[in-house]
Amino acid sequence: MIEYLLLAPVLTAVSCFFAKTRKQVEAVSLTGSVATLLLGLSLVVEVYRHDIIITWQNSLFADAFSAFIVLIVSIVGFVASMYSIGYMGHELEHKTIDMKRLKMYYVLFHSFMFTMLLVGVTNNLGLWIAIEMTTLVSALLMILYSKKSSVEAAWKYMIICTVGITFALFGTILTYYASVKILGETGEALNWTSLLAVADQFDPTIMKLAFIFILIGYGTKAGLAPMHTWLPDAHSEAPTPVSALLSGVLLNCAMYGIIRFYTIATKSTGIEFGSNLLIVFGLLSIGIAVPFILLQEDYKRLLAYSSVEHIGIIALGIGFGGVFGIFGAILHMFNHAMTKSFMFFGAGNVLQKHETKEIDKVSGVVKSMPATGTMLVIGGLAITGSPPFSIFISEFTILAAGFSGGHIIASVLFLLFIIMIFAGFFYHISRMAFGVPKPEIKTGDASRWMLGAMGILAVFVLVLGVYIPPYFYEMLMKVVEVVR
Amino acid sequence: MSELVFGSKMMQLLIALILVSTFMILGSTRLYSCIRAFGIQSFLLAGVAGVVAYSTGRMDIYIVALLTLVLKAAVIPYIFIYIIREIKVKREIDLYVNISPSLIIGGVLVVISYYLVRSINIRTELSSFALSASISLVSIGLFIMISRKKAIMQMLGILLMENGLFLGAISLTYGMPLLVELGIFFDVLIGVLIMGILIFRINRTFESIDTDMLKTLIG
Repeated sequence: MIEYLLLAPVLTAVSCFFAKTRKQVEAVSLTGSVATLLLGLSLVVEVYRHDIIITWQNSLFADAFSAFIVLIVSIVGFVASMYSIGYMGHELEHKTIDMKRLKMYYVLFHSFMFTMLLVGVTNNLGLWIAIEMTTLVSALLMILYSKKSSVEAAWKYMIICTVGITFALFGTILTYYASVKILGETGEALNWTSLLAVADQFDPTIMKLAFIFILIGYGTKAGLAPMHTWLPDAHSEAPTPVSALLSGVLLNCAMYGIIRFYTIATKSTGIEFGSNLLIVFGLLSIGIAVPFILLQEDYKRLLAYSSVEHIGIIALGIGFGGVFGIFGAILHMFNHAMTKSFMFFGAGNVLQKHETKEIDKVSGVVKSMPATGTMLVIGGLAITGSPPFSIFISEFTILAAGFSGGHIIASVLFLLFIIMIFAGFFYHISRMAFGVPKPEIKTGDASRWMLGAMGILAVFVLVLGVYIPPYFYEMLMKVVEVVR
Repeated sequence: MSELVFGSKMMQLLIALILVSTFMILGSTRLYSCIRAFGIQSFLLAGVAGVVAYSTGRMDIYIVALLTLVLKAAVIPYIFIYIIREIKVKREIDLYVNISPSLIIGGVLVVISYYLVRSINIRTELSSFALSASISLVSIGLFIMISRKKAIMQMLGILLMENGLFLGAISLTYGMPLLVELGIFFDVLIGVLIMGILIFRINRTFESIDTDMLKTLIG
């Protein structure tokens, strides 16, 4: 089962490489991502039935949490590949890229999907390898355009994330050291399934050290402040469908690494240590995003800083702990992935129409692009956590967990920050959406592929705000069980 | 068996030489000598792995030693030299921190690492000397990344950190499981190739590989 899931994007990437025309490569890419989505969904169902699947001599595994990550990757991957047909097609028509680059794009896109799926299903602290692979592939996606700014962003991304991930490797080595003492020197000593059983016997001092290194390392990749400096550059300079994958999915994959280690580390160090660290880093990330969102001039960077904020909120939720805190954080991972991709797609539509990323130079989107404009407003309200959209539910759950867990100061600060972010973010969005369109902009919306992709995401954004289906709820509870 | 490794004079010598090679990188302004020093360091590292493999008699460590020798001591330096030749970069390194202060800072970092390792009191399989050398390598690698202007030197800094971690893993647990170790080698190799591509791209778009140019994206 897991093998097929991993095989699908690889095969798609290879076939994209051999496709000849634009039509062919698009058809192959879309078919491949549908296959990935279906396999992802069937893995979720499988895990739902059996709780845990282990294959390939214990090197691949899936429990509820892995399945959850796979679900996010395959849904966003599918809509992003749909969106790519419209978006990258437009770039090709306007000679921004040539056919060779377009093919390269799809090959890298599906390789990127493969690495992210691998993060979810690796039964090993060797998770590190998969996370490093995501950096390598996505850096190549960023230099698809040979603009100065994209090359700069890609270099910063590559260097900062590789250094970060090196720290994570040190944390992994320390964890292995702690586990070898108990389990002996086998390949098994790095597997989640065997680690979890004995994690309470690990040396707490070493696990504390290991968790700090892991938090800094994967925290760099997840964009937790103050290691987030590469994030706004990378996420705003990448091609829009890739921005959506980076913000919506990749950050979650890095968070997944942190949360897995958190589960193991807290077994020996006690819950206090890891929680406090996560609360501090989480609050810092939300706080740092505030001024940058208030004074932002570039709308793609605006969305990128909002990702820093939301990753902070997820960390905060895990830090608050308890069933509510973790449930909120996990739900927030899903909601943020959907809503942020939705917003990036909207921003992409605006970007292709106006050919500028400056907020000041865009106005009246609702008039000139009715569908995109409306969705931009909905997305703006949703991402800042206003009811009745999905993010409101998860933010509210986390806040409730904070107050009931006695983290009064942290919760009040959190509330204060998100109110300021709401004001700033929505001010920028309304400047873009309302008013009179610039005279040189003709009325007319983005292509059907792009609007269709947004439409699918809109369903998640709207429905999960008012109703969480029972099987989805049950799945989330299973993830909470795994994380605790 | 493992006692042979513990007090082994050979091991101490190799690790001391690794530190010396790090200072060769710190103390040089010529790109080629930096690359050569890195090659020598990786060769010594392969030596450390070889000695550990010999004294424990474990096949997987032999494989790791061999891979280190081939990849880090031969292939990666070759990639570096290829890049330097192709982009016809000036052979001198521009520095933010001059050579003599760099050397002093390097020395201070080694001393700090030594005390750090003593204070956390981890019992290693080799000796705490190896672990402190590994932490020195990581911190000096970081220092090189921020104190040198050329993009190539940042790449070298990362590889230095990676070498440091390799030494750390060997001194703590005789290395990671083979599968993980192979994965790390794979990532390092691909990483070097992709950083190479990026350096070519930087050179083409900015007509220089000074990271001074990469300062436009802020706020």
